[in-house]
Amino acid sequence: MNATGSESVIYFDGTSSRRHAATLAFADALEIAVDGEIRARWPFADIRRADSAPGTLRVSCQTAPALARLEIRDAALAAELTSRTADLDEHHLGRRGVAKIVGWSLAAAVSIVVVVLYGVPLAADRLAPLVPESFERRFGDVAEKQVKFVFGEKVCDSSPAGQAAFDKLVTTLRNAAGLDDSVQSAVLSSEIPNALALPGGKIIMFDSLIAKAHNPDEIAGVIAHELGHLRHRDNMRGLIYNGGTSFLIGLLFGDITGSSAVIFASRTLVTSSHSREAETAADTFSIDVMKKLGRPPKAMGELMLRVTGKEGGKGLTIISTHPLSEDRLARMSREDQTPKGPPLLTDAEWRALKGICGKGKV
Amino acid sequence: MSQFASIPIVPPPALPVPPVPVPPPLPASVEFTGDRNGFLHLVARGAGLELVTLGFYRFWLVTDIRRHLWSNTVIDGDAAEYTGRARELLIGFLIALAILVPIYLAYFLVSVEAEHWQALASIPLIAAFFVFGEFAIYRARRYRLTRTVWRGVRFWMDGSGWLYALHASVWMLLTAVTLGLAWPWRAAALERYKMQHSWYGDLQGRFEGSGWEFFKRIWWLYLVTPLALLLFPALPFLYAHYKTVEWRWWVSGIRFGDVTLESKLQSDALQGLYWKTIGWYMLLGTVFATLVGAVAALVGGLGGAAAGAAAGPDALMQNIPLLVVTVIGYMALALALSVVTRLYLTRDLWAKILATTVVTNIAAAANVTGKGELASAVGEGIADGLDVAGF
Repeated sequence: MNATGSESVIYFDGTSSRRHAATLAFADALEIAVDGEIRARWPFADIRRADSAPGTLRVSCQTAPALARLEIRDAALAAELTSRTADLDEHHLGRRGVAKIVGWSLAAAVSIVVVVLYGVPLAADRLAPLVPESFERRFGDVAEKQVKFVFGEKVCDSSPAGQAAFDKLVTTLRNAAGLDDSVQSAVLSSEIPNALALPGGKIIMFDSLIAKAHNPDEIAGVIAHELGHLRHRDNMRGLIYNGGTSFLIGLLFGDITGSSAVIFASRTLVTSSHSREAETAADTFSIDVMKKLGRPPKAMGELMLRVTGKEGGKGLTIISTHPLSEDRLARMSREDQTPKGPPLLTDAEWRALKGICGKGKV
Repeated sequence: MSQFASIPIVPPPALPVPPVPVPPPLPASVEFTGDRNGFLHLVARGAGLELVTLGFYRFWLVTDIRRHLWSNTVIDGDAAEYTGRARELLIGFLIALAILVPIYLAYFLVSVEAEHWQALASIPLIAAFFVFGEFAIYRARRYRLTRTVWRGVRFWMDGSGWLYALHASVWMLLTAVTLGLAWPWRAAALERYKMQHSWYGDLQGRFEGSGWEFFKRIWWLYLVTPLALLLFPALPFLYAHYKTVEWRWWVSGIRFGDVTLESKLQSDALQGLYWKTIGWYMLLGTVFATLVGAVAALVGGLGGAAAGAAAGPDALMQNIPLLVVTVIGYMALALALSVVTRLYLTRDLWAKILATTVVTNIAAAANVTGKGELASAVGEGIADGLDVAGF
């Protein structure tokens, strides 16, 4: 089998790579002799198997130098040694060892899942209010830069009358919602009908949403919804929640092949359910504010449905970040009331708001 | 994480002192004695355990794979040995977590500040992770090498992981600037650094391959690859060819003292392995697609009759049994692919490389004094955490 195949016992002393042809004597310990001189005496209880190629029994000794090795290529001799060393395979991972790994892995998985489902939302709720205002505002500035990068830079401020109408609407709602005057707001020119609440208390509305609205109550409902996000500090909660969840789920799945897909899927499932809860809470907030002002909560739902179209049967509802528009409208309709309070904007103000970006004059 | 770690390159001694002046030293025998079915069983069982332990078993599986490969690598009559243990990898991974978590947090805060200054300004910060990844690659190699034992003497490494990361990053920058032309010289420079700092006992390693040698064999790939991108079947041919050239160049450059390695790998030697892998990927992918399709048709057929015209593709998306089948099927697919990859591209590749490697002057390693300390597995843990591999 090799250049020195005639030797049936080879000894490496663990201090040099020199190969020693050796002879063995089985006394009260294993005696290893090279050239007739005993070089090592290994107690049988300390002898352990080491990895080797087939046909060779390779052993080490726990009380000898760590890398000292004895290689036996003679089956009879190997059997003789094996019969005297009861603990030969003591350090090998058996069935029990594997069962232990599986058991503890499952325990770890269960605790991670429990933390994701219960611990992280709790942490997000408790920690979000502790985030310093100044940090949140800084964070909001970053988010605003990114929003402008994605949706376009253009802030609509060329129409003083439109701006005044928008400010009036925001101020009325803000007062009704019980938020202080640190809330900022702006209208951006964009093709995408949407509105956002940024961390640190800034509301951004895109003018195409205003263009799609039929009356001031619809816009008011949306602003109230975004104020709800600010009031609940949903940005910070979401940040903590998403960060914590991503980290824990990543930890859980480690690097099973294809784990990124699994991580992505489970994270989407968990975080979108959290997001739907936050959206529903913001809707509730909007309904309350509109009721307080004596205006119809249903208006916002109608605007949403107009923008998104009917959503049922499209895509996977358990991974969408918002409740279905028709469900939101249905809920707001149940809470609806005939207007008791004064209109939020006069007709002239409403027309000015519609033209705040200098286009889409009614 | 890479299963192939540094090949236990090397060598040794066994000729019991040439009695007469022998002129041409006989090449030492290099063989791989691993049982292929045994390996298949090992990785298939490992994949199953990875699934039920949600990946935690990976430390044990990777260790078992290495032990199998190392201990069946017989050079000059003596098999190598891998003395690393899964527990070390697990602890290394936990330590790496302790290191990486604050780093991720710091990265997050710094990128907020950078974005505050200007949108998208945080993108260059990703470069920091590249540098860190190179550091991890070096330290992971050191771990594996110090667990590689042959004839009772271990391999080991000195040198600095950070210096290596600096080298690797500067060379990467150069490679990017030259549109990839500097790549062979980068490979040579990094290999030189790694090998200069690799030791077998008191026998120092070095790397004699040059960037120019490498470049001469692959220059035409720079011209052909862009065309091949348009033509699917051409790409695997080119890749397999590239890997062959790279292996041959790499193995042939390795030296430990007077011990010399040379690779006789044929140019088309790896084509079969890559194509078999691709074939299995396509086959398994087709089986998976058929399975999901069949279940979808079944569910669609039953549900469609009940729900009437409203049931379309959208209704299928909402179907929980279908989702479950898809998810489980996907996991099974991913694990089957990992078995295929490990069998062909780890085990068979390893055996092929060994079968074509010629070691001469092994007598130079016949009486090497043991030296070198064990390195910790933190590097492997970080590499695992960052998902980088290298050797």
